[in-house]
Amino acid sequence: MEKSDILYRLAQSVIDMDATRAAEAAAAVIQHNVDPYEAIIEGLAKGMDKVNELFENEEYFVPEILLCADAMYAGIEALRPYLPKETTWNKKKIVIGVVKGDTHDIGKNLVKIMLDNAGFEMHDLGRNVPHAKFVDTAGELKADLVCLSTLMTTTMDGMQVIIEDLKKAGIASRVMVGGGPISPGFAKNIGADGYAKNAAEAVKVAKSLFQEIHVPLILKTSELVSVRRKREGVRCSPEMK
Amino acid sequence: MQSGDEITPKERMLAILQGKEVDRLLVSPLILNFASRSLNLAVRDFCTNGENMGNANIACFKKYRHDIVYLFSTTSTLAEAMGTKMYFPEDDAPQVETPLIQTREDLKKLKPVNPEKDGRLPVYLEAVRRCVDAIGNEVFIVPVIGAPFTTSAALRGTEIFIKELYTDPELVHTLMKVATQSVKNLIDAYVKAGGVPVTVEPVATGSMISERHFREFVLPYLKEVYAHIHSHNLPGVLHICGKTKRVIQCMAESGADILSIDNIDLLEAKELVGGKVCLMGNVSPADGMLKGNPEIINDMVKVCVAKAADNPKGFIVATGCEVPIHTPHENMVAFLDAGRKYARLPINLNHYD
Repeated sequence: MEKSDILYRLAQSVIDMDATRAAEAAAAVIQHNVDPYEAIIEGLAKGMDKVNELFENEEYFVPEILLCADAMYAGIEALRPYLPKETTWNKKKIVIGVVKGDTHDIGKNLVKIMLDNAGFEMHDLGRNVPHAKFVDTAGELKADLVCLSTLMTTTMDGMQVIIEDLKKAGIASRVMVGGGPISPGFAKNIGADGYAKNAAEAVKVAKSLFQEIHVPLILKTSELVSVRRKREGVRCSPEMK
Repeated sequence: MQSGDEITPKERMLAILQGKEVDRLLVSPLILNFASRSLNLAVRDFCTNGENMGNANIACFKKYRHDIVYLFSTTSTLAEAMGTKMYFPEDDAPQVETPLIQTREDLKKLKPVNPEKDGRLPVYLEAVRRCVDAIGNEVFIVPVIGAPFTTSAALRGTEIFIKELYTDPELVHTLMKVATQSVKNLIDAYVKAGGVPVTVEPVATGSMISERHFREFVLPYLKEVYAHIHSHNLPGVLHICGKTKRVIQCMAESGADILSIDNIDLLEAKELVGGKVCLMGNVSPADGMLKGNPEIINDMVKVCVAKAADNPKGFIVATGCEVPIHTPHENMVAFLDAGRKYARLPINLNHYD
């Protein structure tokens, strides 16, 4: 079997929400001496990128993403024993969780899946997480980003407490927030570095936080893109205005 | 507060339902756990005691004179009565702790509720009776029921449940059938107690599932629920919060007469389903009621009226979802004042520019 066939099968099994086929394709990776790392990046993760796109276009919804992720992780699990013990990737570290008082964690789980796939090192604190736990973990890990989620209006103010406590503790981690009641305006008011309205957008915002993009980071992605385009337009081709 | 209204909320609602001339549109913020504030009760004390829940809502109505009195603590109340374990924060709505159905084996435990006995349903029934006795001549008492999909999700655990739309559709339908029967039992009990029950189906929001799944797993059961409500000669109200653009047409096919909506442009909703159903919405609970100020809220109400007051099947000025429990009193007053002002018929917003 050709390597390209195997990579295609890995990607397609993720898109098709088929954990069994993902594990079978992963077995083929080993059998045909394909690099397992490449199989993850060029196969499974490629599939998940497509899933992200389908989610953004509202062709896939929450059940689809969860099942695609199950397939992706089934493939990764099958490949894990064959991966080099020490990876040399310099991954950005992200601490993620649902703030205290709230147990709704599906949104957080989607964001975790997408950021994991986008190459971030994820540390999931779970749901109903005490404020201090975010601060302590971010400090210990020297996290690059802390992602806070909530679905409830009663717990959203906890995000501000965490942001202030991070500052007081002198921890330089940036903070991205999201969840049902959270708006870009609220995110800005509490001093968050980023806001994402859904999991697909969370990837873009997280990536943008670690690039030299000088645009307001609180903007929704669609706005971010348009601002970027506008700026590029101004810089590169003023006649397009 | 002095409402300045000349007729009672009940007279207004009846006139609207009968198509008679009336002073203004209904103004109905979704006051749910927020009612606990009127007696300075912690939410846990409010939602676990029928006397408290009833009295707080009576006090809240006397304070604000809003057009509909809802009784509610969480969308999982029915699942709780069927066996899902909840935990009760001191001053916040209860949340699911352990869903009833952990394995397929647990399906044996599944049976429709007895509202007089199970879970906190007797708390709600007592609250309904108290409210009906005290203020039922002035306003409709409206207990809120988690609809079948939302109840099933709380019976199974939402994340597993929505995956099973693909992996175990048979189990989903099994849960939905029993949940639907529970909803119907509860409707009967509330009607008997003098209430006008409404249903909420937030887990079926367009932020969560596709239209295809809505049609396959949600719509048939909602149709059954609204046919049942209609058999009591009552109007059907369906609330789904979050993004609903993708599913609003299905919502309008459910048989519900009124759709309470949150994260969708009212102009768009009017365009899509305004010829079929009355719309209700959609001032932002977080940015408006909780974090806004009277001026912001006044403007939000005005925008809602401007967009949807001419909806062919009618419009109710409301919040998009539950009024947050920490909403400042002056924000609630601002909402109601703005509603009473802008929704006065005939609508003439230019008058206020």
